[in-house]
Amino acid sequence: MTLRAAYPRLMPYYEKPIGVLSKAGNQTIFFGRAIRGVPYAAVHFRGDISRLVAEISMGTGTLAMIGGTVAIVGFLTLAAGGTLAIQGYSSLGNIGIEALTGFLSSFINVRIAAPVVAGIGLAATFGAGVTAQLGAMRIAEEIDALEAMAIRSVEFLVSARIVAGMIAITPLYAIAVILSFVASRTVTVILLGQSPGLYDHYFRTFLNPIDLLWSFLQALLMGLAVLMVHTYHGYYATGGPSGVGVAVGNAVRTSLVVVASVTLLVSLAVYGTKGNFHLSG
Amino acid sequence: MSFDAVRYVFRRPFQRREFLDQAWFVARVSMAPTLLVAIPLTVLIQFTLNILLRELGAADLSGAGAAFGAVTQLGPLVTVLVIAGAGATAMCADLGSRTIREEIDALEVLGIDPVQRLVTPRVLASTLIALLLNGLVVIVGIVGGYVFSVFVQHVSPGAFMAGMTVLTGIRELIISGVKAACFGAIAGMVACYRGLIISRGGAKAVGTAVNETVVYAFMALFVVNVVITAIGIRVTAK
Repeated sequence: MTLRAAYPRLMPYYEKPIGVLSKAGNQTIFFGRAIRGVPYAAVHFRGDISRLVAEISMGTGTLAMIGGTVAIVGFLTLAAGGTLAIQGYSSLGNIGIEALTGFLSSFINVRIAAPVVAGIGLAATFGAGVTAQLGAMRIAEEIDALEAMAIRSVEFLVSARIVAGMIAITPLYAIAVILSFVASRTVTVILLGQSPGLYDHYFRTFLNPIDLLWSFLQALLMGLAVLMVHTYHGYYATGGPSGVGVAVGNAVRTSLVVVASVTLLVSLAVYGTKGNFHLSG
Repeated sequence: MSFDAVRYVFRRPFQRREFLDQAWFVARVSMAPTLLVAIPLTVLIQFTLNILLRELGAADLSGAGAAFGAVTQLGPLVTVLVIAGAGATAMCADLGSRTIREEIDALEVLGIDPVQRLVTPRVLASTLIALLLNGLVVIVGIVGGYVFSVFVQHVSPGAFMAGMTVLTGIRELIISGVKAACFGAIAGMVACYRGLIISRGGAKAVGTAVNETVVYAFMALFVVNVVITAIGIRVTAK
C-alpha cells in the first residue's frame, strides 16, 4: 500500500505481469473444470448434446440458410484445394515436373492445407458462434441464473459443447479432406488440362493412409483447442453488448494463433524433421 | 454502400484524422497475431518444402521455394486471416455497438453521412494496413525460412540466398501486394456493412454480426485468392 502511494506511476508496470499470470491461471482452472465435466455432461445432458451437434453442423440463424458450418468449411477447403492446384501446377511446371501435381495434392492437402483451413473454418463459424452465444448469456445474466438454480454452468454450457464438438468434427473433417481432393483434381484435370490417369497415378501412389489418420488427430486436437478458447472468451465476457463483440474478436484472434501453433507442433511431432516419406522409392 | 464508400474516397472533406486513427487501431490489433500466425506457418511450409526438395535432390533451391511461397501464398493468406479475423472483427464490434447505442442515427440527424464519416476511412485504413502487413509477413517468411533451412535442416546459406530470386521477381511481389490490398478493402467493407445494419437485439445481435463478418470475409477472401492467383499466373507467365 505504501509502495503504491510512493510510486503511483510504476505500479501498472509491476501489476501487469501479475495480471497476465493470474489470467493464465484462471484459464487453466476453467479448462480443467471443463475437461473434468465432460463425463458428467455426457451422462446428464445427452439431449442437449444431440441438439448441439445439430447446431454445430447446421449452424444457427442466418448462417443456417447458407448451409451452416459444413457448407462453409467445405467451401473454404474447396477454395484452398483449388489454389493449391493452380499454384502447385505452375510452380512445379517451372522446374518441369508438373506431372507431380497429384502428389502435391495428396501430400500438402493432407498434411497442411486441410487441417489449417478446417481449423480456421471451425473457429470462424462454430467457434465465434459459441462465443457470441455464451457472451450474450453472460451479459443477460442467464449464466448467473443457471448457477442460482444449482445447475453446474461450466458442465452444462462448456463441457456439453466440447463433447458435441468432438462428435461433430470427425465427419466434418472427412468432408473437408474429400472436398480438398476433389477441388485439386478438378482444377488440375479439367481446368489445367493434365491427363486424369497421370494425376490419379501420382495421387494414389503418395496418398498414405497413416498420414490421413494423423491428419484426423490434428483436426481433433485443433477442434478441442479452438472450442476451449472460444468458450472461455464467451463465458467470461464483460461490458455489455459491445463487450460481446470484443470478446468474439479476441477469441477469433487467439484461435487463429492456436490453429497455426497446433498444426506446427503436431506435424513436427508426427513427421519429425526427416518427413517420414520417400519420393524416390 | 460499397459504391458510396468508394465514391467518397475522392470527395472532400477527406476524414484524415479518422483514417489515421483507424489505421493505427487496425495495425495495433493485428500486429501480434500476424507475427504469431506467420512464424509457425512459415516453419511448417519450409519444413515440408525442404523435405520435398531434398527428395528431388534440389535442396539448394530451398531459398527459391521459401521466397516464392512467402511472397505468392503465405503473405496474402496470413494477411487475409489476420485482417478478417482480427481487424475486421474489432471494426465490426466497434461499429455494431455504436449502432446499438444509436450513435449512427444521431450522426444522421446531425446531417453527417455515416458512410463518408466512418466507412470510407475504415475501408482505406484496412487496405493500407493489409498492404503493410503483407510486407511484414513476407519478411518474416523469408527470414524464418532462412533460419529454419540453414540452422535446422542444413541447407547452405549461400545457396539459399542465391536461390531466392530465381522464381520470385518484382511481378510476383506486385501481385502479392495487389492481393493483400484487395483483401483489406473487402474485409473492411464486409465489417462496416455488417456493423451498420444491426437493427435490434442487443448483445446477441452484436455477437452474431461479428461472427457473420468473419465467415463472410473468409469466404469472399478465399474466392478472391483463387481468382487472383489464376490471373496472376497468367500475367507473370508472359
